[in-house]
Amino acid sequence: MTSETHQVTDYAVQARGLTKTYGHDSTRVEALRGVDVAFARSRFTAIMGPSGSGKSTLMHCLAGLDNADAGEIIIGGKNLTELNDDQLTTMRREQIGFVFQSFNLVPTLNAKDNILLPLSLAGKKHDRSWFNVVIDALGLRDRLTHKPHELSGGQQQRVAVARALLTRPEVVFGDEPTGNLDSRTGAEVLSLMRTSTREMGQTIIMVTHDPAAASYADTVLLMKDGTLVGSLENPTVASVTEALASLAE
Amino acid sequence: MLQVALANIKTYARRYIAVLLAVAIGTAFLGATLAVDSSTRATLKNSVGDAYKNADLVASVDWQLTPADAETSSLTMDVVREVRKLPDTSGVYGNGFFGADLHTGENSYSVMMQPISPEHKLSGMTMLEGRAPLGAEEVVLDEKHAEQMGVSISDTVAVTAMDEANKTRELKVVGIVETTTDPMFSSYAQLAMEESAWERLAGKDFGMNLLMIDAKGDIAQTKSTIAQYFSDKGMADVVVNTADEQVLKDVASMTGGTDQLTIILLVFALVALVVTGLVVMNTFSVVIAQRTRELALLRTLGAKRAQIRKSVLIEALLIGIIASVIGMMMAIALMAGLIQLLRSFVPEMSYATLALDARGIIVPLVVAILMTVLAAWVPARRAMGLAPLAALRPFDAASVKNRAGLVRIIFGALLTLAGVALLGFGAYKGDLLIAFAGGLLSFPGILMLASLFVPATVFGVGKLLAGRSVAGRLASLNAVRNPGRTTATATALLIGVTLVSMIMVGGQSAKATLNGSISGEYPIDLQVQQDTKNSDELAAKLANVEGIEYAAAYQMRTVNIDFLNGSTSEEYAMIVDPQSYSSVVLDQKIVPKDGELLSTWWQNESKFAEVNGNEVKLKTTSASFVENTLTEATAKNLGISDKDGMSGVAIKVDPSLSNTEINTLVETIADVANVENSRVSGGVMEKFMFSQVIDVLLMIVSGLLAVAVLIALIGVANTLSLSVLERTRENALLRALGLKKKQLRSMLATEAVLIGGVAALLGLILGAIYGLLGAHSALSSLGSMQYEIPWAQLAAVLAVSLVAALLASITPGRRAAKLSPVEGLATE
Repeated sequence: MTSETHQVTDYAVQARGLTKTYGHDSTRVEALRGVDVAFARSRFTAIMGPSGSGKSTLMHCLAGLDNADAGEIIIGGKNLTELNDDQLTTMRREQIGFVFQSFNLVPTLNAKDNILLPLSLAGKKHDRSWFNVVIDALGLRDRLTHKPHELSGGQQQRVAVARALLTRPEVVFGDEPTGNLDSRTGAEVLSLMRTSTREMGQTIIMVTHDPAAASYADTVLLMKDGTLVGSLENPTVASVTEALASLAE
Repeated sequence: MLQVALANIKTYARRYIAVLLAVAIGTAFLGATLAVDSSTRATLKNSVGDAYKNADLVASVDWQLTPADAETSSLTMDVVREVRKLPDTSGVYGNGFFGADLHTGENSYSVMMQPISPEHKLSGMTMLEGRAPLGAEEVVLDEKHAEQMGVSISDTVAVTAMDEANKTRELKVVGIVETTTDPMFSSYAQLAMEESAWERLAGKDFGMNLLMIDAKGDIAQTKSTIAQYFSDKGMADVVVNTADEQVLKDVASMTGGTDQLTIILLVFALVALVVTGLVVMNTFSVVIAQRTRELALLRTLGAKRAQIRKSVLIEALLIGIIASVIGMMMAIALMAGLIQLLRSFVPEMSYATLALDARGIIVPLVVAILMTVLAAWVPARRAMGLAPLAALRPFDAASVKNRAGLVRIIFGALLTLAGVALLGFGAYKGDLLIAFAGGLLSFPGILMLASLFVPATVFGVGKLLAGRSVAGRLASLNAVRNPGRTTATATALLIGVTLVSMIMVGGQSAKATLNGSISGEYPIDLQVQQDTKNSDELAAKLANVEGIEYAAAYQMRTVNIDFLNGSTSEEYAMIVDPQSYSSVVLDQKIVPKDGELLSTWWQNESKFAEVNGNEVKLKTTSASFVENTLTEATAKNLGISDKDGMSGVAIKVDPSLSNTEINTLVETIADVANVENSRVSGGVMEKFMFSQVIDVLLMIVSGLLAVAVLIALIGVANTLSLSVLERTRENALLRALGLKKKQLRSMLATEAVLIGGVAALLGLILGAIYGLLGAHSALSSLGSMQYEIPWAQLAAVLAVSLVAALLASITPGRRAAKLSPVEGLATE
């Protein structure tokens, strides 16, 4: 396992013995088979693996969107598996940020309202200076009053990143955040995400199958058949591609 | 969440138009109903209370309070004078009248002579022209009648008061006053004379109807002063009320019926609201299905379940508020328009008043808003249950499996069984109340079970009709893709159609049955009598008159009838030829057999009677326009003298004749027989009136229920356009795969017609059953029931539903067809 490569005292997210099974009998799929994993604070980690390797399920469970059958998940000192729905929701609102592949924004709200949504759901005021830092870092100042359909795909994703960063969560999860973008805008969004780990100390966990996207991460975790099978530090496109190819064997 | 809810309404405003419209119509209906009630009351106050609307207090005699040993008190002019002397009173005058005849040069009129006192508020009258009368030679006349009589100021009229002298006096008109709006008196001319002169004509003891009193200070104080005065005088039966109390009392005694009307209208308004509720529920379900991913995203980002529900309910609340306010304005506009129409077209109703009390405005608003929010509750719960993960699924299939809750099915089945049992029992016993309770239980029960049979029927009918057409097959599959929604849409229409057809079938059967019993009550359409001994010739002539089906001659002879209970009497007997007579009458029970006397003395219990000393069997009837009847053979046997008497012809009229045609026919008959119109009599007019009343009632009720059908059809359009939105991708895929625009449109039209048609059909069947059972329960006690189903009307209901469903598919179909295949696939 990869846990020994991290400092034990400074983990943003930890999971032990995660198991998840879908379906019954003949349709039974073991998506996660006792995964133990820990993610260091202020690091950008990519999870990779072929289709059906369980990488998305792992992320859904870690983010509290899906319930694991067994195991525990610790974020910000709390065990997600012991929380009820309302507590879990509060957890998502305050400790976890999300950037999805598509449908990231509420179509009826403008960019600013979308960015502030988690805070307004919590009924909290935003920190104005932090808000300014985030939107300037993401270059969104001119776009705040635009509705999602008036924004390009890259701009929409940047709004989603800004929303994720604004609450200063323990961890931001990205689910193929550049999957719908062309390579140039994708690269732009990924550098922004990397900058946020370097300069704002944000922890980011991203699921992707694109070696180019994974090369922006500090660490790449490799998954196959519901277990973690390896990791790469300071990955490059070439090293990631090679590692993936070796998984297929 | 308010922010999200507002943003949603703003962005998706178009999707809410139908809900808005449905809620608004429902509210308008309820609002108009209550406004009818309050306006009726206000109109009555304005008319009934005309005499005292400007007074503080009113004293009147209530003879029910008169002590047994005392005489009823009389509000004489003396009483008026004494009350004027009491402290705290001002403007005291009496209101009463006696009849008199007024002669102008050309005509005579009946007038009501009233007292007027120039010093005491002109006795409540409003002077329009001229001045108040002084002395015994001057009068004022009301405006309407002055105009009618062609009398103006300073004209002289001759008035014969019906006093002992019966003397005619020449009186000078010195003023014109406003005509009263009190419907009891406004048709009489009002002639007012200075009160002491009036008193001399009327007599010192003449009692007036009302005594009007104004208070100088505190009204309650004055009221007790006056009450004390009357009790001191031993006039315990004089009641003193404030003007408002008096109005309420008078209106209550006049309008026993309007409250019932309001209750009936309210029931219909309730039906309209229930249907509206279903439409609202449906629309919200669809709106939420469409926003699944959005709502799930909100959940992912940290919206709690309760917040999601709150957001949906806030949307419903806002829509409820906007729609109900629009609806209320529609109701007010409608009522104002109606009253304006009434005022300008019916001069006697010039005092009609639009009245809206706080209750009439607040109740519909609150009910409609509550109903909207309640209807959104179920969809809101569904939204609340969404998993956050739903946001991450790339594509959501539009097919939904909704399991009908087991609890609902069991509960529905129990309700249905209990209701049907009660309904059957009520019908068997002929007890409408029991049957009504059965209907109230079973209908909601059946609606709860609707999810079991509606989608299956839609699918079955669709399969049956689709044949090989791709669009048709797709349509029947699509129609049941979301069984829950199809059920809800169909249910809304089902309710409306069931109620309309119930009223139609029940009403038709009631009409047929009542016609039957009316025929028993008025078995002879028309008869004409003449002074000649025999009318065979006249009967032959009349038989050829257009509009007459049969004519049978009869003779009238004087006979002595002894009912064998000590009383004998000399009476006319009608002597008929049983054969021709039975072809004329509508009820064979009134045709006597040979040796039998048909008597109109129906309370008589003896089985035999003696006619001219000979015993005959006795049969009685309570029918109208029938005489004691004997057959010709009996008359011959009894040796009834043929020397003198009268004769007549009984006539059966073509049943399709209209009211005016019957009137003309009566004149024709009188002409042919060469007698006065008054010698033509019969039950046909009464019969006609009865069936007209039933027709009008049925029309009103069906019209009211049609509002519910209208709302339900809005729901059909809504469901369809929302499913089109939902299936944008899929429709685009079909287009990409080669489905033509026309085919797409026809697919949607088929879907709409399937849902609408099946709902209407099921509604018609249910309604017919309820209608027949209801009519049976209500009327079987009246005698033989006649069941009739108005096929043409039911077919019209079905046709309207189908056409409306077709119309409902036009806009969504256009939108779907406009979409280019690529565009549709790109839509997120």
